[in-house]
Amino acid sequence: MILHILNRSPGSSLVYREALAGMGPEDRLLLIEDGVQGALTSQARHFESLGGRLFALREDLASRGLEGRCDASVQVVDVDGFVVLTEEADKTVSWF
Amino acid sequence: MRYALLVQGAPYSSQASHSALRFAAALLARGHNLECVFFYHDGVYNAARLAAPPQDEPHLMDAWCALNTEYGTRLQVCIAAALRRGLLDEREAARHGKSGYSVQSPFELTGLGQLIDAGLGCDRLVTFSP
Amino acid sequence: MQYPTVPPAGDVLVILRHSPHGSSWLREGLDAALVAAAFGQAVSLLFQSEGVLALVKGQGPGPLGQKGTSATLDMLAMYDIESLFLDAVALARLGFSSDELQLTARPVDQAATAELIAGHRLVLTF
Repeated sequence: MILHILNRSPGSSLVYREALAGMGPEDRLLLIEDGVQGALTSQARHFESLGGRLFALREDLASRGLEGRCDASVQVVDVDGFVVLTEEADKTVSWF
Repeated sequence: MRYALLVQGAPYSSQASHSALRFAAALLARGHNLECVFFYHDGVYNAARLAAPPQDEPHLMDAWCALNTEYGTRLQVCIAAALRRGLLDEREAARHGKSGYSVQSPFELTGLGQLIDAGLGCDRLVTFSP
Repeated sequence: MQYPTVPPAGDVLVILRHSPHGSSWLREGLDAALVAAAFGQAVSLLFQSEGVLALVKGQGPGPLGQKGTSATLDMLAMYDIESLFLDAVALARLGFSSDELQLTARPVDQAATAELIAGHRLVLTF
C-alpha cells in the first residue's frame, strides 16, 4: 500500500486526477493543506472511486473552519493519524 | 522507523514548512527517528539565517534548529539550489567573494546525492511541497 | 498506441509535471534524476501532465539566456537513464504525437502509471 498525499484542491488544480491515476487498488489518499477542500460534501465526488481510502487532515480542516463539513466518505485523521498512515504504507508520494 | 523529510516550499510563503514541522513533531512523539530534513527548490529559504518573523508568528528557523539540537536531525540544504538563491554559508561566501553570509550551522549546504541517500536509506521519505 | 504490459521496476522514479521555462521544477527534477543515476541507482522518468512539453522538439534558451532543459535531456543517455515514460493522455490533449518529440518515451495509461509508481523504491514528484 502506498500513501498518496495531495495538497491542492480539485477547484484550483487538476493534479488530483494524476494522483488518482497513480493509485493502485489498495493505495490511500490523504488530503492536507488546501487539499482538504476536496473533502467537502460538495467536492468529494471527485474522489468517489476511492471508496473508504480517502483521508483528510483534521487540523487543516479545523484551521479553515471546514471541520464538520466533510463528506461521510472521508476519514478524518489528526497529525498522529497522518504518521500512522505513513507507518502502514510502503512509501509515500506527494502531489502538488 | 527512520524518517526523512523533503521540504520544497519557502517559509511563510506556503504551508509546506509548517506542515513538515508538525509532522516531524508527531513522528518523534511516536518514537520514530528523524534522520534528516532535506531542503530543495524554494525550500532552501528555510535556511536563511537572517529571517526575522514577527514575534506573534511561529519562528520556523528556531523550530528547525530545535530538531537538530534535541534530536540530532540533520538539516541539509541543496547547495546548487541555495547558491542560485543567495543562500551561502561562510565558506561559500568567501569562495564567491561575498561580504556576508546567509546560512549557518546547524544547516549544511550539501549535494543532491544526500536526498537520494535519505530517500533510499531511510524507511520513509515524506515530501512537503508548496 | 502500444502500452507496456509490465512497466520496469527500478530504484528511483522521478515524475516531471511542469513545462520548461515557466518554473525551475523541471530543471530541478531532472537534476535529481541525474544525481540519482550518477550514484548508481536505476532511474526512470515519467513525463506527466504539462511535463510532456519537456520533450517537444525545437526548444531554445529564453530571452535572457536562460538555459532551459532541452540540453539536459540529451544527457540522459550518458547517465544511463533510458527508462522514459510519458503520459499518453496529456500528450494527446496538448495536440502532440510521439513522433514529434525530441526523445523516445513509452506512452503509459492510468494502470501502467500506478504500476510504475509501485515498482520503484523511491518516487519523487516535481
